[in-house]
Amino acid sequence: MTGLLLGAALGVPLAMLVASLSPDLRARLPSLLVFAPVPALLAALLASGDTLALPQALLSIRLALDVPSAMLLGVAALLWIAGGQYAAAWLRGRPGGNRFVVWWLLTLTGSLGVFMAADLVSFYLLFSLVSLAAYGLIADDGSARSQRAALIYVGLAVLGEAFLLMAFVLLAQDAAGNTLLIRDVVAALPTSHARDAIMALLMLGFGVKIGLVPLHVWMPLSYRAAPIPAAAVMSGAAVKAGIIGLIRFLPLGAASPGWGGALVVAGLLGAYYGVGVGVTQSNPKTVLAYSSVSQMGLLAAVFGMGLAAGDPGVALVAAFYAAHHILVKGTLFLSVGIIQASGRRRLWLLLVPTAILALSLAGLPFTGGALAKIAVKTPLGSGLIGALATLSAAGSTLLMVHFLRRVIRTAIRPGGDIAAARFVLPWLAATVAAVAVPWALYVVLGIGSVAYALSPAALWGATWPIALGLALAAALARWETRLPQVPPGDVIALTGGAGRLASAASLWMEQVDATLRRWPVAGVSLLTLAVVLAVAMLAGHW
Amino acid sequence: MLLLLMLGARYAERIAAVALVLGAGIAVAILAGVWQSGAPLVTYLGGWAPPLGIALRADGLSAVMVATTVIVIGAIALYAGRAFSVPDGQDETRAPLVFWTLLMGVWGALNAVWLGNDLFNFYVALELLTFGAVPLVSLDGSAGTLAAALRYLLFALVGSALYLLGVALFYGAYGTLDIGLLAGLVRAEPVIFVAAGLMIAGLVAKTALFPLHLWLPPAHAGAPAAASALLSALVVKGSFFLIVRLWFDVMPGLPSMAAAQVLGALGAAAIVFGSVLALRQARLKLMIAYSTVAQIGYLFFLFPLATGQVWNGIAWTGGMLQLVAHAFAKAAMFMAAGLIGEALGHDRIANLGGIGRAMPMTVFAFGLGGMSLMGLPPSGGFLAKAMLLTAAIGEGQWWWAVVILSGGLLAAGYVFRVIAPAMATQAAPLALRAAVSRRREGVVLVLAICALLLGFLPLRPSPLLEIGRPGVAALAR
Repeated sequence: MTGLLLGAALGVPLAMLVASLSPDLRARLPSLLVFAPVPALLAALLASGDTLALPQALLSIRLALDVPSAMLLGVAALLWIAGGQYAAAWLRGRPGGNRFVVWWLLTLTGSLGVFMAADLVSFYLLFSLVSLAAYGLIADDGSARSQRAALIYVGLAVLGEAFLLMAFVLLAQDAAGNTLLIRDVVAALPTSHARDAIMALLMLGFGVKIGLVPLHVWMPLSYRAAPIPAAAVMSGAAVKAGIIGLIRFLPLGAASPGWGGALVVAGLLGAYYGVGVGVTQSNPKTVLAYSSVSQMGLLAAVFGMGLAAGDPGVALVAAFYAAHHILVKGTLFLSVGIIQASGRRRLWLLLVPTAILALSLAGLPFTGGALAKIAVKTPLGSGLIGALATLSAAGSTLLMVHFLRRVIRTAIRPGGDIAAARFVLPWLAATVAAVAVPWALYVVLGIGSVAYALSPAALWGATWPIALGLALAAALARWETRLPQVPPGDVIALTGGAGRLASAASLWMEQVDATLRRWPVAGVSLLTLAVVLAVAMLAGHW
Repeated sequence: MLLLLMLGARYAERIAAVALVLGAGIAVAILAGVWQSGAPLVTYLGGWAPPLGIALRADGLSAVMVATTVIVIGAIALYAGRAFSVPDGQDETRAPLVFWTLLMGVWGALNAVWLGNDLFNFYVALELLTFGAVPLVSLDGSAGTLAAALRYLLFALVGSALYLLGVALFYGAYGTLDIGLLAGLVRAEPVIFVAAGLMIAGLVAKTALFPLHLWLPPAHAGAPAAASALLSALVVKGSFFLIVRLWFDVMPGLPSMAAAQVLGALGAAAIVFGSVLALRQARLKLMIAYSTVAQIGYLFFLFPLATGQVWNGIAWTGGMLQLVAHAFAKAAMFMAAGLIGEALGHDRIANLGGIGRAMPMTVFAFGLGGMSLMGLPPSGGFLAKAMLLTAAIGEGQWWWAVVILSGGLLAAGYVFRVIAPAMATQAAPLALRAAVSRRREGVVLVLAICALLLGFLPLRPSPLLEIGRPGVAALAR
């Protein structure tokens, strides 16, 4: 019975999309956005462990929830609810809101659906949906800058899709029987003859989604271009399609030191790279985007350690870390929105919760972030990798202090007071959830013990990297002007040379085409083809 | 068609409508008949069996093509209705009469190709197809389109001549042209390979496979949108279909893998060159025409992928799905481009800014068609590419897989080159020169949705296509 909730989680947003075809209903949709993710939330709470198989006419879609995916689904639904409420407030009185609502619902359907997909076809379908529909959210304001960001985003997204499609075709090829269930095809992966190719393609495909360096270039550009509510759900919820992809497709049960090691290196590189480039940025949204690069890099390293050791338990802790990031990063983007719409008077009412959330990303004691760091401590181990991961919390602190300093400068509303209640309330709800929900999950799912989380050793372990980060931040504040200016999207600026090369190549191809399309050349080609075909066929029999 | 000439253009549209309704009924009957009996339908014209008489034969492939054709032609007729009708109280003009006559003529010729079972009949059908298609290119009578039409005509005639030469060699060797009889007679002889080489080269020229595509871009881009849709969606598929018949039905098992790889390589070159050239076009219709050059390339992967064994279901289903999905998607895109061109008075891609706000339904349909070309799910194009990829990996020919995926990326490039400016905001709302008919926008959207719905077919070989394939029945046993 609760299996039907899984269907409703997909069906309700789709029904709202259909409703958008009617002009009468369309006008009401913004205020209803908040309800679209509610069935998904209920499914996450009630239907964990259930499966729903749709009939063949609907692609034989199989939806299923286990504990990690239910956790991600529920938390993502919470962010989509808060984001939907914020979007409704933001859309009030704006022209062109209908399009935004349609893109929003499409992205939402894909974002929530991908956590439930249990077969290759529906996973690919929903993964593509969340990836590509976000194009409309990024390009929403129609400016040249947004267009460029959206094009770079969609180019990389389509590239990622191509990698994944190839990986899925190879996976399906090797699976015994006619199964397309992800569980079954991944079970056959460790013994597949194309194992290395599949692993490489999976990492590239999901690496684009989670912004693994150097595939991260779309992130800063997109989050800067997207409107506040869109940036919130994209950075929080939509990116986690890549995380559920890693959970579902990496053969975590079979130790694979080579590929695990590669993922650790790429991940840790991203964790530090995100901080390094992030502190040179001035736009608070771009700073948050680089923080995502850093956080997702750390998470990739967690997966890498799990893969290297053959530890399937890493799926749950990684999902917990990701769940915390969903709420915190999404809420921080909402913070940017309300602080921009505020003046200096009573600003501390907004700044204090924002600061707590920001430092939660660095593992501030008593926050969900501290719990997330405890959860991933075991897989990261106590060696060099563990030490580097712990030190990256200092980097996160540095980056978040930089973010806070940058976002305060944007509070310049005339009249001086904080933003209107219709913006502040969804933010407040999301903030409360970002603090409370990780604790609830930690306790209910038994991620770790509360006693340990509150022990002096754990508190000290969480505190010293933050203290170090604060010291670094003070140093940075002094030397800030000496930092180089890195354009958002950093290495994308280096691709100009490749672009010139590509345009030269395409010019050359145009000339070749013009030559081939001349009559004499085409006549010769035609006769040559006839001869070549005849000879090739003859040769086959001699 | 004869009736049409007698009654003149005033009634042309109505006659075509009646014929299309009848045709749709026949297509459904053929599809149902083939599906239920699980065997091909065969009719002997005049009651004479080959070699004396001529047979019409509908196997699974034919049934699919007949049904696709009637849907696309029906959509084209609905779309063209307003543009090519004679208003009451005005004199008849040339264009409407010619358009409706040729539309019906091309339709008949296509059906003769799908259902024919005799190499000479195919020649007649091919010529009919060419003579129907060429005037459609120059319907507006301007110098530019006349030149394009002549170019098309000349090249198509050269192709026909090569084909006919091959047919003569076949007849000289075996004394029959019936496919079923030939399949039992042909042996690996030099003369047969020479004949096949000539025929396939001729047909390739008519299909506009790279590097023999010189005629396609100007012809398809210059024709009125309804005619472009017909040419790109269906006409080029006619000659492709004949290559398939020749390769797999007339001489089953004879063509060598080397020859198949030649065709596959040309297909790969078509994908790369066609897509890159599409990226470089400044005009919307030329871009779509070059995209056709690229999409034709995918069809030719059928040869390297399906030649190796008796029945490679996944390659066949993927190849045929690519054919049908491209027919729907490309017809929708050309007709959408036609609406945009009429509304704006030009089709320069650089000046399409804001068109998405002015004509959302048309741009949406264009985008859906583009989705299928890119191979994004859910769409027929996605399923086709996924199956061709599977077949390529299954056959150990991974190099085609690389081309298929790169082709998708390039297609994304040229589709977004249109969609991106279309969605951009303009300072001033776009002023349309002419109001856009909701009905015509609806027709375009329905075709695009057809391409989308194909994506909901199951991801496995289709049993329908196996019906009537030589060797498959033996395999099943």
